[in-house]
Amino acid sequence: MRIARRPLALAGASAALALSFALAGPVSARADTVLNLVAADYGTGPSDTSQAYWQKIADAFHAANPSITVKVQTVNWNDFDTKIQTMVQNRQYPDITEGDYFANYAQEGLLYKTDQVLSDPGNLMPAFKKLGSYQGAQYGMPFTTSSRAFFYNKKLFSQAGIAAPPKTWDELMTDAGKIEKLGKIGYGMPLGPEEAQAETLLWFLGNGGGYQTADGKWDINSPQNVQTMEFMTKLVKAGDTEPNPGTKNRAVILEQFAQGQVGMLNGLTALIPIIKQAGVLTSSDWGTAAIVGKNGPLNTTLGVCDFMAAFKTDGSKQAAIKKFLDFALQDQYQVAFAEEYNLLPGTTSGAAAFAKADPQLAPFIQALPNAVQYPNSPVWAQVKTQIQQIIGTAIGPHPKAVLDTIQQTALKGS
Amino acid sequence: MSISAAHEGVAAIRRRRPLRLETRLAPLIWVGPAMALIVVVVIWPVVIMIKTAFQHISPDGFILGWAGWRNFVFLWQEPDLPGILLRTCIWVATVVVGTMLISLALSQLFNQKFPGRRIARWALIAPWAASVMMTSIVFRWALDPNNGIINVVLHDLGLLQRFNSDASDWLGTPDRAFAWMIVVAIFVSVPFSTYALLAGLQSIPSDVYEAARVDGAGTWRTYLTITLPLLRPAFIVALLINVMNVFNSFPIIWEMTRGGPGHETSTTTTFMYQLKESYIGESAAMSVVNFGLVVIIVLLYLRATVWNREAA
Repeated sequence: MRIARRPLALAGASAALALSFALAGPVSARADTVLNLVAADYGTGPSDTSQAYWQKIADAFHAANPSITVKVQTVNWNDFDTKIQTMVQNRQYPDITEGDYFANYAQEGLLYKTDQVLSDPGNLMPAFKKLGSYQGAQYGMPFTTSSRAFFYNKKLFSQAGIAAPPKTWDELMTDAGKIEKLGKIGYGMPLGPEEAQAETLLWFLGNGGGYQTADGKWDINSPQNVQTMEFMTKLVKAGDTEPNPGTKNRAVILEQFAQGQVGMLNGLTALIPIIKQAGVLTSSDWGTAAIVGKNGPLNTTLGVCDFMAAFKTDGSKQAAIKKFLDFALQDQYQVAFAEEYNLLPGTTSGAAAFAKADPQLAPFIQALPNAVQYPNSPVWAQVKTQIQQIIGTAIGPHPKAVLDTIQQTALKGS
Repeated sequence: MSISAAHEGVAAIRRRRPLRLETRLAPLIWVGPAMALIVVVVIWPVVIMIKTAFQHISPDGFILGWAGWRNFVFLWQEPDLPGILLRTCIWVATVVVGTMLISLALSQLFNQKFPGRRIARWALIAPWAASVMMTSIVFRWALDPNNGIINVVLHDLGLLQRFNSDASDWLGTPDRAFAWMIVVAIFVSVPFSTYALLAGLQSIPSDVYEAARVDGAGTWRTYLTITLPLLRPAFIVALLINVMNVFNSFPIIWEMTRGGPGHETSTTTTFMYQLKESYIGESAAMSVVNFGLVVIIVLLYLRATVWNREAA
């Protein structure tokens, strides 16, 4: 409420100010610059909302730079993409975003290049430079990163008499079947709209597939991918997953894993605080392993990066944005964010500082440079939206038709 | 020409002109703001909507030129569209029929005198007063396959074998999810319809019933030949308002399934919203189709109200 009311008062005040300037003629006034920051919320509730993280930075920044005010707005991950897109469609651009970054905004010339709004763009993690770039120039600033790993519930594994985490798809199916007999979910497969593109890609990788070929051609309906969907369908039909994965979101499945209801899933480091908060599993009750592939564990994984991006709007706020980004990407804030949500930093110096502070997560940082990433394409926004909406229906008799539809979307462009 | 003749001439002109310009424009001061409002908030968006349907627009709102009929062609080529149109018809028909039948019975009940009637009438307002989105979220969680309250009750009664199974996953399969959404839609529509019908019932004079009783008409006969015909004005108003509300209903479907899996529980309203995320022009084309359907409903409504007046 407090946050919601302030902008109104501010808007009123600035309108009054503008009016008085208009009456007084040109005045060399240094009116307050207001930066609108829209960030995704990584928290699971009011206690760990990212609103608090950003507000702390905004307050410290305002204390150091009284002429610049940063207005923070955080948005649920489920709605983040749509929210930003709606703002862009309505020409109500945010100044700074943190969350997903889309090449299409760079393509349309809406964004500042990183060297225009950062004093030291070289400190951004190089592993994700390409993903944040469009036609050779970098626009997306890696803010936080993560790599996916296979999580399994050791307690359920021993109850079901399974000695080690599975290495191949067949083993995974056998193990999931055993856990299912205990009345729990064998394998958690979140193919609902929230994050289906990650789960799908991890399965595709397990069979040597992916969204694109090595040279960047869309390859969604390849024979390997169809085969992968067929195996996933088999797994679902056998009752080894939660029912109807196409309607289940990641947040729910992660929560159920934390409650000890799920035997295994492809998770990320951010699952760790959720497990701790639930208080059902102790740290010895669960473990991680390599992503399971068709014929053996993968030596790579999916690396995900969330970016900051700066919108140009009318170009008048560049200096203020630069000041704020330099401030917000300091190591102390990078480490604080990574520690709060068990994610990894997005800057090189931040990662170094974090590796010292939390040696447990250092291997995840080392894995990042080799990790597979999402496609870097202006069409990715639409492809992703469609995967999220319909990939769940590929679990069924006609996986090829669904993958064909998505492939067509990718080729059709905007 | 004498002065008095000139005077008479002017007077004659004045008499012939019934109103001076200012007098004729005077009503505009009162009607003007309302007209301006209608132009700005109704007509103008409709014009923009139709214009958008013929434009090629990037997903981020940049106009790339005219598209001719291409957006409509793309829309017609959507493989899921026939199913969505059919589902929209089923959605409107079942929800409205269900609502009206239940409301007829409930309004009859609430028109009787019984202890606690006041409380019962107040209680009926609750689903109406609560935000539809909130109601939908409550139902979504109540149907959760893992620990939803409805599943817990069914499990305790021995009707459900185990949680996290297909049987407990009400919103996971399109048919059952759609059936549940219809239930929720009826639940939130019943209060309004019941009150509309109750008002209609209370406007029927009691002497008509007395006359019927004197003539020896039975309960059913009285209901069919007196109550229902006299209830017709209220019934038709409630029916058509319901049709429009249900047709445009967004929050129930959005909160309970987001139209998923795929588009298998979408209606044209939610589908239009989903199209907007990627294809603005095509979404506008869907809006135009929806708008056309609403216009037809409104015309039916107008005809019905005229018909009412003639009947009365």
